[in-house]
Amino acid sequence: MRKVEKKVADAYFRLRTTLIVIYLAIGVCVSYLVVFFARDLSSITFNGFPLHYYMGAQGAVLTFIILLFVNAFVNDKIDQKFGIHSDKKTNLSSGNTLDQ
Amino acid sequence: MDAQFLVSFGLILATFGLYIGIALFNKARQTSDFYVAGRSVPAVFNGMAIGADWMSAASFIGMAGTIMIMGYDGLAYIMGWTGGYLLLTFLLAPQLRKYGRYTVPEFIGDRYQSNTARLIAAVATIIISFTYSIGQLSGSGVVIGRLLEVDVAVGTMIGVILIAFYSALGGMKGITWTQVAQYLVLIIAYLIPVIFMSLQLTSNPMPWLSYGQVIGELRELDQALGITEYVVPFTENTKWQFLALMFTLMAGTAGLPHVIVRFYTVATMKAARWSGAWALLFIGLLYLSAPAYAAFSRFILMDQVAGSPINNLPAWTTAWVDTGQLSVADQNGDGVLQWAEIVISKDIVVMATPEIANLGIFVIGLMAAGAMAAALSTAGGLMISISAALSHDIYYRSINPHASEEKRLAVGRWSIVIATVVAGLVALNPPGAITQIVAWAFALASGSFFPALLLGVWWKRSNGPGVIAGMVTGLSVSLAYIFAAKYGGFTILGIVDTGAGVFGASAAIVANIVVSLLTKEPSQQVQDEVIDLRYPEEMTYKDGEVWIKDGTEG
Repeated sequence: MRKVEKKVADAYFRLRTTLIVIYLAIGVCVSYLVVFFARDLSSITFNGFPLHYYMGAQGAVLTFIILLFVNAFVNDKIDQKFGIHSDKKTNLSSGNTLDQ
Repeated sequence: MDAQFLVSFGLILATFGLYIGIALFNKARQTSDFYVAGRSVPAVFNGMAIGADWMSAASFIGMAGTIMIMGYDGLAYIMGWTGGYLLLTFLLAPQLRKYGRYTVPEFIGDRYQSNTARLIAAVATIIISFTYSIGQLSGSGVVIGRLLEVDVAVGTMIGVILIAFYSALGGMKGITWTQVAQYLVLIIAYLIPVIFMSLQLTSNPMPWLSYGQVIGELRELDQALGITEYVVPFTENTKWQFLALMFTLMAGTAGLPHVIVRFYTVATMKAARWSGAWALLFIGLLYLSAPAYAAFSRFILMDQVAGSPINNLPAWTTAWVDTGQLSVADQNGDGVLQWAEIVISKDIVVMATPEIANLGIFVIGLMAAGAMAAALSTAGGLMISISAALSHDIYYRSINPHASEEKRLAVGRWSIVIATVVAGLVALNPPGAITQIVAWAFALASGSFFPALLLGVWWKRSNGPGVIAGMVTGLSVSLAYIFAAKYGGFTILGIVDTGAGVFGASAAIVANIVVSLLTKEPSQQVQDEVIDLRYPEEMTYKDGEVWIKDGTEG
């Protein structure tokens, strides 16, 4: 066990939270914002689809999937940068559980 | 007894044998196996299990039909049911995993240090999961009934016996590995027909790329007929209803106990994040294909069935007309079936597709096995949630805290058997349309669990009285709006009953914040535990300081 500087710990949390806010903002843009302006986007055609329909049927879902993988990947990198190594995790698997 | 019956029956029997074999092999031996699969499920497989758990009979059987009938407005389901995984994986799942309990009510009870809150959450879990499982059981009854050519009631009872047997035996551990197999069966069954239809109509084996062209042709057909175009937005309801429904489905997804508990079955926060990503990829395969199904089926119906002489319709129409799910009356008596004279139930679009596209008996049988996998896997997950709420949150934590492990397992198993049988009896005569019941379950989940978990994880000042006020307010507002909109004709901005969650969730968040601020702040220990959730497992927050494990401890 070693102590982490408060500054470092706060930076970790702030970085994670900022990223999550960015991901969620992108998610909102491709779904809610596109729906809100659906009528205006319907004149644009993409791959045979009117754009608003494409975003609803494929674009939004694909963006969501990419966001989740980017999040998982970037988070592992951040953990490494802050000196957390995943190979030690096996013996931590129970977390705070009551099931010991 | 024809060839179709034998093929369907054989495929269903073979897949059931596989599921039961897996459940027997992974029999739960201890409590943690039963509730959280020993917390040892790898992320990719957990992703598949989440996918099978998530994709219910409604998704498998009903979604493509909903989109075919509602057009663009049906896409709220696609975005809502996938977007929920963003909220879940970004805002809730890893933190809930670190907190590490067996069930969602247990988290709420311990985080807010309130037995009342835990009991309310346990009751809400039971209500939501029970309502949802009624839909699954009656869905499986329809499939078994149609394909084994027995009465729907007999079909439902066969489903009940199967689910009760393998959920009670295997618990979460058996169910998880069974669900991995069920995911594979259901996704193969879903993709094969749509790929073949794509080949038939566009000579392109990638339906996701090719159906844009079909959408274009549909627009021309619609214009020629002078009917509302398929892709035009907000023809069924207002734009606000679309947005409200999408929000309700997203927040409800992030608050469904049987989905959240899936994230308790993995080893770490890191695995919880990867599970969420894999889960959405596996779910996305089906959700990206559903609109293609809808477009292809509508095109075939408009292009090949409509316009045929009424006495020379394709053979498959007769079987579905007999079930009452399809109506092809020649209303204007000109001897030709017009598009406007076809009335198709949305629940048969996927099931009838192999017949519509003439894909042969093997594919039809595979569809039956896939639909059964979807219904049974979701019902299995729901039953585990109900049983955990009854045996763990209510019996063990409130009634008999000294119960031995054997006793708790026995209570868990018996509550599954009883819950399945009761849900099966209700499903024999369902209280409403399946999709409607499912949408209500989401409105209730977004009014109760989503706000309670969100504030519990992200706001340390939120306390017991706050969460009780929040859950009670959210549930009441959701329920009141559902009834007011459905039976009283009361709507705000054209938002109908299925969009009720947006009001339930907002009311619950406001109530939680206001009551929390008016009452005493939570103990220092609870606040420290909430701050601790900001960091991965290797970092611990204690007395205002953060510690990291560096391998030097024993």
